[in-house]
Amino acid sequence: MSVTYIDAIHEAQLELLREDERVFLYGQDIGSFGGAFKATKGFKEEFGSRVLDSPISEDAMVGMAVGAAINGMRPIIEMQFADFSSVAFNQLVNQAGTHFYRTGIPIPITVRMPCGGTPGSGPFHSQMIESIYAHYPGLVVVTPATVSDAYQLLKESVELDDPVIFCEHKFLYRWLKSANLKGDALPLGKARLTRAGKHATVVTYSAMVHEAVRAADRLAKEGWEIEVVDLRSVKPLDIDTVLASVARTGRLLALGEGFPWGGVTSEVVSRVVAEGFHLLDAPPLRLNAKDTPIPYHPDLWAAHRPTPESIVEKLRELLNL
Amino acid sequence: MTPPTFSFPPPPLEAVLDGDLLLRVFRSMLTARTLENKLSSLYKGGKIVGGVYLGTGQEALSASLGASLTKGRDYFSPLIRDQAGRTAFGEDMLDATRTYLGSAKGPMRGRDGNIHRGRPHQGMPAMISHLGAAVSVISGMLIAKRMKGELDGIVGATSIGDGATSTGSFHEGLNMAAVENLPLVVVIADNQFAYSTPRNRQFACESLLERAVGYGVGGVEVDGTDLKATLAGIQQAVTSARQGFGPQLVVARLLRLCGHGEHDDASYVPQELRDSLIGRDCLEVGASQIIEDGLTTAEEIEAWRKEAVEEVQEAVATAQRERGPDPYKEDWRATSVEGMQ
Amino acid sequence: MPQVPIIMPQLGESIAEARIVRLLIAVGDTVVVDQEIIEVETNKATMGVTTLCGGTITELRGEEGEDYAVGTLLGILEASEEEIERTGSPVLGEREEDTEKESSKDEENLHFRSNDSSYEEPVLIEPSVRGLPVPAGVKGAHYISPRMRARMDELGLQAADISAIAGSGAGGRVTVEDLEKFLDYIQEWPRSSASPMRLAVADAMRRSWTRPFASVGLPIPMDKLLEYRSRQNPKPGLTLYVLRAFAIALSEEPTTAGFLIGDKVVHPRAFDLGVAVQVEDGVMVPVLRNVDQHRVSELSREYDELVKAGRERRLTPEKTSGGIATVTNFGTFGLKWGTPIPLPNETLILGLAAGIKTPKWSDEVGAFIPVTETELCLTFDHRVVDGGGAGMLLQRVGQLLQEPEKL
Repeated sequence: MSVTYIDAIHEAQLELLREDERVFLYGQDIGSFGGAFKATKGFKEEFGSRVLDSPISEDAMVGMAVGAAINGMRPIIEMQFADFSSVAFNQLVNQAGTHFYRTGIPIPITVRMPCGGTPGSGPFHSQMIESIYAHYPGLVVVTPATVSDAYQLLKESVELDDPVIFCEHKFLYRWLKSANLKGDALPLGKARLTRAGKHATVVTYSAMVHEAVRAADRLAKEGWEIEVVDLRSVKPLDIDTVLASVARTGRLLALGEGFPWGGVTSEVVSRVVAEGFHLLDAPPLRLNAKDTPIPYHPDLWAAHRPTPESIVEKLRELLNL
Repeated sequence: MTPPTFSFPPPPLEAVLDGDLLLRVFRSMLTARTLENKLSSLYKGGKIVGGVYLGTGQEALSASLGASLTKGRDYFSPLIRDQAGRTAFGEDMLDATRTYLGSAKGPMRGRDGNIHRGRPHQGMPAMISHLGAAVSVISGMLIAKRMKGELDGIVGATSIGDGATSTGSFHEGLNMAAVENLPLVVVIADNQFAYSTPRNRQFACESLLERAVGYGVGGVEVDGTDLKATLAGIQQAVTSARQGFGPQLVVARLLRLCGHGEHDDASYVPQELRDSLIGRDCLEVGASQIIEDGLTTAEEIEAWRKEAVEEVQEAVATAQRERGPDPYKEDWRATSVEGMQ
Repeated sequence: MPQVPIIMPQLGESIAEARIVRLLIAVGDTVVVDQEIIEVETNKATMGVTTLCGGTITELRGEEGEDYAVGTLLGILEASEEEIERTGSPVLGEREEDTEKESSKDEENLHFRSNDSSYEEPVLIEPSVRGLPVPAGVKGAHYISPRMRARMDELGLQAADISAIAGSGAGGRVTVEDLEKFLDYIQEWPRSSASPMRLAVADAMRRSWTRPFASVGLPIPMDKLLEYRSRQNPKPGLTLYVLRAFAIALSEEPTTAGFLIGDKVVHPRAFDLGVAVQVEDGVMVPVLRNVDQHRVSELSREYDELVKAGRERRLTPEKTSGGIATVTNFGTFGLKWGTPIPLPNETLILGLAAGIKTPKWSDEVGAFIPVTETELCLTFDHRVVDGGGAGMLLQRVGQLLQEPEKL
């Protein structure tokens, strides 16, 4: 049996729709078409009015979800691409994000965001948006890297009473396969030690976890043992697991596919420096995408984001310090 | 179901308007005006921190809407000039004074202020400053009811200004509500100005009602200074929505009789406009209408005014005696589930 | 004839593979540019793979009904040079990845390449780990990382303690791994505990050593002093005479005992001098006050008491603080010379070596006569005093010691 990352998302939603009638789906092309990535294939036939095609109105989609949540529903909004969520930015950060703080009433919406680049996807179909939503209070931001995490964390996100920005990585949709749908059931909020090591720690999330493991495998041939920590959610950020890893290795590389200014990698480094300064044997490093819009041409795109090669180079720099 | 096309003058008054309803609306207007005069004084006296936005000139429109909805069944998402509507809908005056005066006992507990207050589970969502954003929220509340099979008879309503109809949020929200054929009433107070921007810098149509055709929704336009005409128009819209004719627009022409906020003196409003028919005070027009109809007397109105003053005094005094939130006792948590920050 | 590859294209955002539904051509067929030659089906739609140029199909590797990953070589088309030129089509053999590709359905993660179904390692030039530039502040033997600092604090180590470690980090810095290896290594060696006195001296010397010291020595005839002293009752300690001469010489040139702070030389306020007293496993330095103003006979009793208290470790902090220079008598151990280290709060230390009977030429007598000589060794802070100043100071001390009755 082989389950892909998108299969896991499909299965999670199927179970949620079946088990909880408060759950409904709203998004563009998610009805009989089954969604741009087929994440909702077959749902319209089974669940009818709980799976609705929305107009191209990201702002209204999220505002509507907030209203429905006030009245006890658990909507899942599918953004066709994370890049388009910027149209809904106001509703996400100001309506959904502030609601509990201001009124005491939680907003249990889940907004699914297909993030990350694929070759040729270009500047507006490739963005990683976890940092901007994590910046605003009141939102939970989840970034699964594995098939079983995609399944389990989506289920947990919908069951959580707070608004969740669920960052799915498009490239992992069909490329990432696993023999198992269910994994170690690590709860939302805990990071996972993907690969144990000794000489340096790479802290990362989403698709970059796999790139980091590839880089680690290469360095293993030279005798370096690199530890990889998968954050699984960037907010909440499991800094304890990160610190425990840095305590073992003394060296940190924070790795992400997002843009370099600020963001998850900066947050990780600043927390480790503040709380674990005495653990560091070398200055902590960061590796992100370049500070430009994401290029279209596959060769440019491949150079824009971290790759196993560039991760290896950065790790060599870190190990050399 | 095809919605009825928009019409201009509403049907004859006697066939539509209930005397008790008219008086209820009027009293709400009077109470709101009294409260807001007080709020203005408190602000100018330095007792209120932050912005104060009044609904002077819009009371008839707002109260008509509030009174035409039933709290506990319908939803009302007020905007910044809806004190009269809130009163008519049934909001406790203490909610207003406590929120303005920063009491920790107010519905927002000091975390938000002035007109951002609300009680979502009582059918009054708390607005955010981004205009137009409330339309989709009310729509979502209605969609939830529909999914539960409980939508029958429920109407959701929201207020908006002429300026706010320019926002993408408004457009997306109304369009979506129309696609979903929701029982939504959108009341547009065309008060000629959005802060200092005159309406001809806001849109190019002669009447905002023309937009209804574009969205495929029903609507009516009324003279917002005329209490009876306004109430009739609102009633028609609410009824149509409740009967399943999809979203309804009510466009009321009137003039904003106060500044954008109490920090603004509205000196950009031309005197000719103030002196024209659109510059009439709906409270005065309303008073003469109900006296003329024999529903009440000038003395009784004066008595009501005095009662309103008492009620406002009491609400203000109570709120002033209460403490604000203690920053050291705050949990400073933005998520309902612990550990999620 | 040049060969153009027929590749499974990327037919949608997240498409990883597609199934060949129908082959519209066969080997040997002639095709034109933009001709649909293979019908494929993805989970979204059915589409056609089209030719990049005209030519002849020479090879077909794809089979109907089979799934192939994006980027798989499905066939080969031969085209003329002009056709290649005209259409700008890629040619096999220009890129090695085009040949010999296995479609791999289990391949986990390739999302940095566009047309690969397998992952090719580009040829890497492996740089040596040490060759990469490292910021100046974090390399070199002096750099101690926060983790090193924490570990050293935990173990009570100072930088001087780990001087034996050759660092393997950038610029030779000592890393935590180096430290742990070193500690494991010396774990085997015999050891004893350092007493608090030992640690106190170690700390004082470590702090003192931040100054650039130099030492000079001058042999002084001691016969007159020794003879004068032998006639006193009670006999003052020999070191006391040297202390007194030293104090007088310093009072004549106070700057030689100055302390450099920034761009100021701070002069002594009073000529309080210490005398080093050897105890079991360390040194104590009691201080005598205003030695320039009191004669040896006046100082004698206090001197004896202090020395005794020192040996018995009964000295209070007031008794050991405030000195500007120290005299140490290591001649008692038979030493001929030495380079003593001043206390951290002082800039001078005068060492008194052993007196040795030495033949010295005497012009008067015209022969070698025996003279008891001792080397006076002065260590000084070379930031404040130079060799000349030190030399003159020693000359003066020697001079004063030739007239012991005046001390």
